[in-house]
Amino acid sequence: MRARATSSPFGDFRCSNCHAIVSSAHLLSGVNNRNHCPYCLWSSHLDLFAAGDRLSACKALMKPIGLTMKKSRNKYQCEPRGELMLIHECVECKSLSINRIAADDDSEMVMTVFQESLTLGHQIHALYQEHGIVILHLDDKELVHTQLYGRYAKIPVFDWM
Amino acid sequence: MNTNDENDIGVVFRKTLGHYTVHTDGREIDCVLSSLLRKELIFPTADPTSLRHAVQEVREINHVDPVAIGDRVRYVDAGDSRGMIVEILPRGSKLSRPAPVPGQRVFEQVIVSNADLILPVFSAANPTPKWGLLDRYLASAEAAGLPALIVINKLDLAWKNPSLDEDIEIYRHIGYPVLLVSAITGEGIEELKQALQGKLSAMVGKSGVGKTSLLNAIQPELGLRVKAVSNGEVGKGRHTTTHLEMFQLDFGGTIVDTPGMREFGLWNISAEELADLFPEMSEYVGQCRFGLSCRHDHEPGCEIRKAVMAGEISPYRYQSYMRLREEL
Repeated sequence: MRARATSSPFGDFRCSNCHAIVSSAHLLSGVNNRNHCPYCLWSSHLDLFAAGDRLSACKALMKPIGLTMKKSRNKYQCEPRGELMLIHECVECKSLSINRIAADDDSEMVMTVFQESLTLGHQIHALYQEHGIVILHLDDKELVHTQLYGRYAKIPVFDWM
Repeated sequence: MNTNDENDIGVVFRKTLGHYTVHTDGREIDCVLSSLLRKELIFPTADPTSLRHAVQEVREINHVDPVAIGDRVRYVDAGDSRGMIVEILPRGSKLSRPAPVPGQRVFEQVIVSNADLILPVFSAANPTPKWGLLDRYLASAEAAGLPALIVINKLDLAWKNPSLDEDIEIYRHIGYPVLLVSAITGEGIEELKQALQGKLSAMVGKSGVGKTSLLNAIQPELGLRVKAVSNGEVGKGRHTTTHLEMFQLDFGGTIVDTPGMREFGLWNISAEELADLFPEMSEYVGQCRFGLSCRHDHEPGCEIRKAVMAGEISPYRYQSYMRLREEL
């Protein structure tokens, strides 16, 4: 791999899935590389080795299939398990990537992804675990809610819980 | 002025603003350019019965400079080692780029003509190699039908660039010869001399990679002016060579030293032709689901993208291809 990822500046874009116009402004997203649509959470398979390198030739859509936690190096982080991340799976080449949730991501949609991920079978969980990705399950619902809405927000009781 | 109708023929070795040094029979002639070469004269439609052949229109030519280094030119000898170029003989090859002149029209800048070999020169470190720029040089060389020899200078600083071998391997895998040299230690200089022997070669590369230092290492008596790259973290070269010049080599052959070029676009290449200029991609051209209409971007059934994902084409080269395509 080359020493420096050759990321090119990229601007606002139209989501290939929901066709919404997405701003890549750091002020809105809070992340350096806007990775997915904040409305439908779908992504495109553009990166290969590192976030923002734009080296992938696949370019297919990536579906949000679940949530996971990533250990952070931030020792002052209040959540010891790390940061809530989205898991994307490429609809064509099936490669996986975990991505930071942006500040303007639709929290309801994140909860929907979490809800849908609960139906994933044990085999898929095991398969992802081989890649070092642990999909959050029903027992983690409080954690997910806290990460999305804050620790003092009341946890609603969903019919799927 | 020479009153003979027969003009002399020579090769342009050096050019500075408005002056061209033409070598012929071991002599150097300082030439100026005939105004006719700066204009395009438009005549009326040829009519055999017409006796009038008056010029209807005079247009400016679409070149920054109609004469390039390496051009074989016909000149009128004015005596006292001075003359005037009156004709540029047909070129065997030319390496061109769009002239980086701000303005509404883009002109062709022929960097070197009648070359046999292009030498894209990069440094192992300080400044860090810009492989995207190398891909541009290589595509231009392919467009001109010229072979390229990639020269990586400053081998003594290779320890600063841990990914160098991996990057070089990409180009070796495609089939481009890569020569590792050091103008300081002399490593690889003999191999470089062998590669240059008997050819008209042109060195291209960004500022500070050591093109002129290499020339001095090949032929120390040239004693050309060189500078160190700027200090500090920037590691950028300073423009030391400011004009194009061709040098006769003692061991046979000629070489053109060019000023550093940070930007290098493709001249007169259409987006459809571009994949053919990447040798590893050319074999897939026309095999995509959309045939020759495929832009190799998001199209389904694209064989080039498939080859990138299969590891047969480097993703870095594919990225260079996409960036170049966006510019065309």
